[in-house]
Amino acid sequence: MAAASDLSGLGPKADRAFGLKLVAPAMILLIALLAVPTVLTVVYSLHDVPANGASFGPFVGIENYTIIFASPVFWRSAQVTATFAIGFVVLSTVIGLAMALLLNQRFIGRGLARALLIIPWATPWLVIGILWKWFADGSVGGLNAVLMMLGLISDYQPFLSDPNTALPITVLAAVWRQASFAGILLLAGLQTLPEELHEAAGLDGANVWQRFTNITLPWLKPVLITVTVFNVIYAFLQFDVVFAMTQGGPGDTTQVLSVLIYRQLFVNTNIGLGSALAVILGVVALVGGLAIVRLFYRREVQ
Amino acid sequence: MKTTNTTRGLGAFSRRSFLKAGGASALAATMMPGLMTGTAKAAYTGTLDLLAWDFQPDTIKSLVGEWTAAGNPAVNVAVIPNLGYTPALQTRLRGGDKIDLYYNFAYNSQKFINEGWATTLNGLPGVDDMIADMFESARSRHVNVAGDIISAPYFSAVHMLHYNQKYLADAGLAVPTTLKEIYDASKTLSSTTPAPYVAYWVKEFCEEYLHTYLLNEQITAFDDAGQPVFADDAKTVGVFEWWQAMYQEGLAPKSLLTDDPGKLSNEMAQGNAAFYVLHHYFLTSIRSLEGPQSANVNMAPAGPSTLQIGEVLQLGQSESEEERQAAWELMKYYGWKDSGGQFKVFNQWAKAAGLAAPYAGFFTDPEVVASFPDYYDLAMLSDTFATKSNVVPARTLPWYPDFQAKVGDIIHALLLGQATPAKTVEDLTAAAKGAQGGRTL
Repeated sequence: MAAASDLSGLGPKADRAFGLKLVAPAMILLIALLAVPTVLTVVYSLHDVPANGASFGPFVGIENYTIIFASPVFWRSAQVTATFAIGFVVLSTVIGLAMALLLNQRFIGRGLARALLIIPWATPWLVIGILWKWFADGSVGGLNAVLMMLGLISDYQPFLSDPNTALPITVLAAVWRQASFAGILLLAGLQTLPEELHEAAGLDGANVWQRFTNITLPWLKPVLITVTVFNVIYAFLQFDVVFAMTQGGPGDTTQVLSVLIYRQLFVNTNIGLGSALAVILGVVALVGGLAIVRLFYRREVQ
Repeated sequence: MKTTNTTRGLGAFSRRSFLKAGGASALAATMMPGLMTGTAKAAYTGTLDLLAWDFQPDTIKSLVGEWTAAGNPAVNVAVIPNLGYTPALQTRLRGGDKIDLYYNFAYNSQKFINEGWATTLNGLPGVDDMIADMFESARSRHVNVAGDIISAPYFSAVHMLHYNQKYLADAGLAVPTTLKEIYDASKTLSSTTPAPYVAYWVKEFCEEYLHTYLLNEQITAFDDAGQPVFADDAKTVGVFEWWQAMYQEGLAPKSLLTDDPGKLSNEMAQGNAAFYVLHHYFLTSIRSLEGPQSANVNMAPAGPSTLQIGEVLQLGQSESEEERQAAWELMKYYGWKDSGGQFKVFNQWAKAAGLAAPYAGFFTDPEVVASFPDYYDLAMLSDTFATKSNVVPARTLPWYPDFQAKVGDIIHALLLGQATPAKTVEDLTAAAKGAQGGRTL
């Protein structure tokens, strides 16, 4: 650093000032687009905000949080969100990893297959939801046709109206997109893995599973952490797919917290309550993401 | 421009008095066409803003363009999707957007007045005549308890039972009117048509069906003060027992909880269903699908009463009195009659989709009559609007959207067998009281 300062002919203070100027535009944008809304949401959550937004309204302290935590609607929604998140994170990561491993092999049409992997990721969440709503339709859906051809069902099933299948189907729809994202990142990670490592392990007598667990997975660890953290965040913030497919129904079967927040903020215009819910969900997503990072790195330290 | 200001200072009158007075002035209005609508051009020279949802946006622009071409101010028409319209509209208004005139759902109308997003129409030229021209049954959707006029009609409809005439005739069944008759007929038909009854039972629409079914059994859901009184009627549990049985016994398809209405129209057109309860204009969609059974589908006479729905136009905050007057002129044209006294806009919606206007004269207007296909029994429809339908005035109260948002969850729990009919009554009562009480999830 000192050498660099000497070379530039400026002191450390001047370097810091120069650096600050470089990051200032990004900092201003981040503050305007992230920090201000975040602070405002927290402030709203402590007020009974009028729907028209003319003022913050009366300060109510933690009353909005008390109402939320005392409501069975919230706890049911939290349970649905947790179930959705677990399914989403596990399946997105595992299927993404499987796709990456497959597409890292040499086979005819690999280039096309890799290009196809991008299509779900390039499709907006809302469009995915609408596509899957029709795909899973109980009368004309392709999913039913496929399952019937495979002999897994004998009659068309109303998957989205059945409380036992609605949530799994919404998870599948969301995973369909997110797994491709995970696959793209993990494939990029795999391509940096030197082939010599596998060859050497093979010469030492390691089988496929041993090479996968002792070479591939450790190599992919930084990417896996990134992918998993992204998946956790996307899982908790998932809205579009669920809303397009079921609008939270049937009943409250798929009413994840983001749907509840949408209803409170934008339909009922209970800005204070909706903001408090958003703060809770934000904290949960943050803690979830941090927990994943901590979990992975703790193992690494051990 | 002649002004009638009978609603100014109506605070001392009850809504009942006002509505009765409205009926009397309706007669007067028919004898004095000049009162019906403003004939002078607006003095405003700026541009008005109209926000609508995306039902036939080109028609909206064309209708508004004709109004402008007649010497009125230019209008910026913005169109946004129907799905999520309320959140989008509220967000725009909350963000300070100035919108002179906009579509709205009736259940939002009083809330929007309270929030200062919409203004009352009290005292505007011809507004009393517009109200007087309406079916008495429709007026309380547009006039609140205090006598303030809060909206004009965008369109109106009544929930009707559509039925397959051939299927009923083949089974030797009469057209059902009570819920029990519908259940019995569905049971009989289920031997040939497995799930003969369809309805738009998605979460957002369960609230309309709640009222449709309660009204069918002559149950009052909310009293004049907006208090939930359906629990006091012993017949209410029976309505929920019927609703649950229709779903649990497979007389209605299991997919109804997420099916969209277009699909249901097709089920009727294809002959996969024999009954379809929804707004009257769905007859147009069933017939126009030209399926093998489309031509056999007709509209049944309403039972004792049914739900009359109607979406509304509301006047936003204007920057000047001239602008407000101009916006009102546009509102009258769009939500009532043109300067020639014709239902120009409503007639266009009738042609396009069979939508109706809540005005008695609408159903006798020769142009309107010619706009409806022959398969519509306009006399029956008009009679349903006039005497056999109810707007449920509580539906415009400011707390109502909160209640409306909760009904779907409660009814779905009933249909899925997760709640008993008695528990459903309790939950709905609690939801209504909770919504009235303020912040709840």
